[in-house]
Amino acid sequence: MASSRLEILNDGGLRHDARRPYELRSLSLELSTHPNADGSSTVSQGLTTVSASVFGPREPKQRAGSVHDKASVVVEVGVAPWAGAREVRRTRGDKRLLEIAAAIRQTFEPVIMTHLYPRSEIAVHIQVISADGGILPTAINATTLALVDAGISLIDYVTSLSLGLHLTQPLLDLSAPEEADLPTLVVAALPSGKVTLAQMETRLHVDRFEEMLTLGVEGCGVLKTEMDRVVKDRTTRVVERMDKVIQGRITGD
Amino acid sequence: MDIDQQGDLGEGSSTNRGIVSPGEIITSSKEYMRGHGTYVDEEQVVSSLSGTIERVNKLVSVKALKQRYTPEVGDLVIGRIVEVGSMRWRVDANARQDAVLMLSSVNLPGGVQRRKIESDALKMREFLAEGDLLVAEVQAFFGDGAMSLHTRSLKYGKLRNGQLLSVSPRLIRRLKSHFHHIPPPCGPSGVDIILGLNGLIWVSVGTSVESREGGEGFDAEGVYSNKNDDITPEGRQAISSIASIIKILAMYNIPLSDILISSAYEWLSSQREDDEDGISAEMGKRMVEDLTGVQVTAAA
Amino acid sequence: MPREIEPSINQREFVLRALAQGKRLDGRVPLELRNVELEFGDELGWCTARLGKTAVLAHVSATIVRPRDDRPYEGFLIINSEISPMASSVYEAGRASEDEVLITRLLEKSIRRTEAVDREALCIIAGEKVWQLRLTLHFLSDSGNILDCASIAAMTALRHFRKPEVEVSGRDVIVHSPDERAPVPLAIHHTPLCVSFAFFPDLPPIIDPTHLESVLSSGTLTLTLNAQRELCVLSKAGGSALSPGEIMGVVRVGVERVRELVKIMEDALRSDQSNRVIEVR
Repeated sequence: MASSRLEILNDGGLRHDARRPYELRSLSLELSTHPNADGSSTVSQGLTTVSASVFGPREPKQRAGSVHDKASVVVEVGVAPWAGAREVRRTRGDKRLLEIAAAIRQTFEPVIMTHLYPRSEIAVHIQVISADGGILPTAINATTLALVDAGISLIDYVTSLSLGLHLTQPLLDLSAPEEADLPTLVVAALPSGKVTLAQMETRLHVDRFEEMLTLGVEGCGVLKTEMDRVVKDRTTRVVERMDKVIQGRITGD
Repeated sequence: MDIDQQGDLGEGSSTNRGIVSPGEIITSSKEYMRGHGTYVDEEQVVSSLSGTIERVNKLVSVKALKQRYTPEVGDLVIGRIVEVGSMRWRVDANARQDAVLMLSSVNLPGGVQRRKIESDALKMREFLAEGDLLVAEVQAFFGDGAMSLHTRSLKYGKLRNGQLLSVSPRLIRRLKSHFHHIPPPCGPSGVDIILGLNGLIWVSVGTSVESREGGEGFDAEGVYSNKNDDITPEGRQAISSIASIIKILAMYNIPLSDILISSAYEWLSSQREDDEDGISAEMGKRMVEDLTGVQVTAAA
Repeated sequence: MPREIEPSINQREFVLRALAQGKRLDGRVPLELRNVELEFGDELGWCTARLGKTAVLAHVSATIVRPRDDRPYEGFLIINSEISPMASSVYEAGRASEDEVLITRLLEKSIRRTEAVDREALCIIAGEKVWQLRLTLHFLSDSGNILDCASIAAMTALRHFRKPEVEVSGRDVIVHSPDERAPVPLAIHHTPLCVSFAFFPDLPPIIDPTHLESVLSSGTLTLTLNAQRELCVLSKAGGSALSPGEIMGVVRVGVERVRELVKIMEDALRSDQSNRVIEVR
């Protein structure tokens, strides 16, 4: 594989895409990108784009899926055929996709205030539109925004980030070639600094791990600030317009 | 974070008029009670939604920008039958759970007043079958939060002669009446609009007040009819114009009211040529700007 | 999927109250593992691991196959781990449930992706003949934490297994039967083992949760560690949120427990070796 000869960090301290070690990829957050869903979002982190749509709380599609005292959360993950994801196969029911779906469901179950929606279902559909590393963190970020957009009660924002370790230098927000070569840790955290998800699957010394974990939580905080800005902007814009109409002459109040 | 500055529920700053997002601390729970859209964490009332703060005396709640319909008793809703069960229908009313319409909460054809018997239960699908649309009122809630509907008024019941629209429930406010009639020249007999609080809107061919509410010309046997009346081309055009207006207003997040819709129709008739059909995007934008005075650069 | 009956409120209260006092239903303290028992079969590479009432049988076999064209020097390690309803009635034959997918994925990650077995050492003739190891896991009974039990069984079986000695002369390969020449052990880089923790709101974490404990918990975390203090896999998928400090706390406990487990495993392997009649290296 060509990627194994990639220079992760050059002499000038830059990564293969000319980022500095702690630099995140360009982030784009869009709300309400799906016309029919109760809530939706599209999130791009570098060349990875994921769109999430949330349906619900609604009557469960399968009667057996209803729980008497809380909402059930259903997550489905799909990868577009042109996404160019090497790490996952695109067929439905692929184990890696199921694993990602399960991780997202388990991340959001304690964050969504499910007890407010008894006997209902909240369905989250994730579609990976293009993949360049970090599918899981981008999907988690997109899900958070879509849930906020759907007006579903959340304890707080959940943000997620991948990070790797090159020799002793941690790198934030990995692209696909970096992900293939480095020990990778995916962290999802609440703004309070508490970690809801942590996944790592390469050998790493315990002492190094602690450093990465703290750094990841810090990175998640940065993402939360960005998300909050986008959400607030949109809310302010819509609320102002509605206020204007209600106060305006036309409604005759 | 900048939460501390908003200690007084954000009322001080006019630019950011009480707009919060999930996880944001609103106020201390010692002074205020928490309402919908909030939770209490370590003696602080915290928002769980993205929207605006609403305060009634000491009760603080957050209203989301966009949310599924939350029913209240007395609400007028439009729904679609999804299942015919024993002595009841299940109705999809765009809420968190399917609503229930009991056989005992409907009017029999012909307006006969009597207890429903077994032979009525056998004819349930003749009254309302899967896929039928109806307008009803929220009567009560069941223990699990599902709503129970009733159609025991001549205003309610099966819908026909029109077109269904779906908008965000936030755009429809509770009004004195949700049945509106736009008189001719909007179509030969006018256009009827039903604004369901669950975000569903029914636009249909206009009828007279008497025939709607059981007076002269009320077709008591036709309540459960599956056939549309003959609608003239002009009538159809009026319906589709009104529907387009509602869609455009909803696209720009403008709260709907009968006055707004009828003034929009007047504006439209004064602006467009006789032979012109439909509304162009440019025209829609001008319409919204002229009517509401809101500058619309992009649909939000 | 037949849904399990949820534990009753009384049961839940009882377990949680006991935990608040630092006690568990089976008499353990929070950070104590259940008894680990290892049992070997007559054949090499046949091992049953028991963790309390949870039991997993692992079996390793080897065959000679052609390598992949793009990796001519590498042998194969195939892990078969289908959970049958034998283990517990919550599992369904044929269709994989979500739990099952997660268990098999974690096993695969902790054994294969960590390169526990040197796959290049499985090469006989480059590009033509390599060993294919097949690790089959049978989940005999599940009373909680079947993953940790499976990883112990799998690693023990891999270390217990001996592949037949082969001799290469030119292009010919002679496979010597164990009677002729002593079979050789696999080249194993390290011994990654899983340890799982369960978390409860406002209570200290517990290690090696039983089935009931994991159902009642607000979240679990699985670590794969080796004796060299290396973290191989960490998986905390959702559940209650933890501070980095809490996570590091359980990682440190995990390091200790894995060291103990490796020692138990090595003792068991040694005593088994001394009991065998045939010569083993």
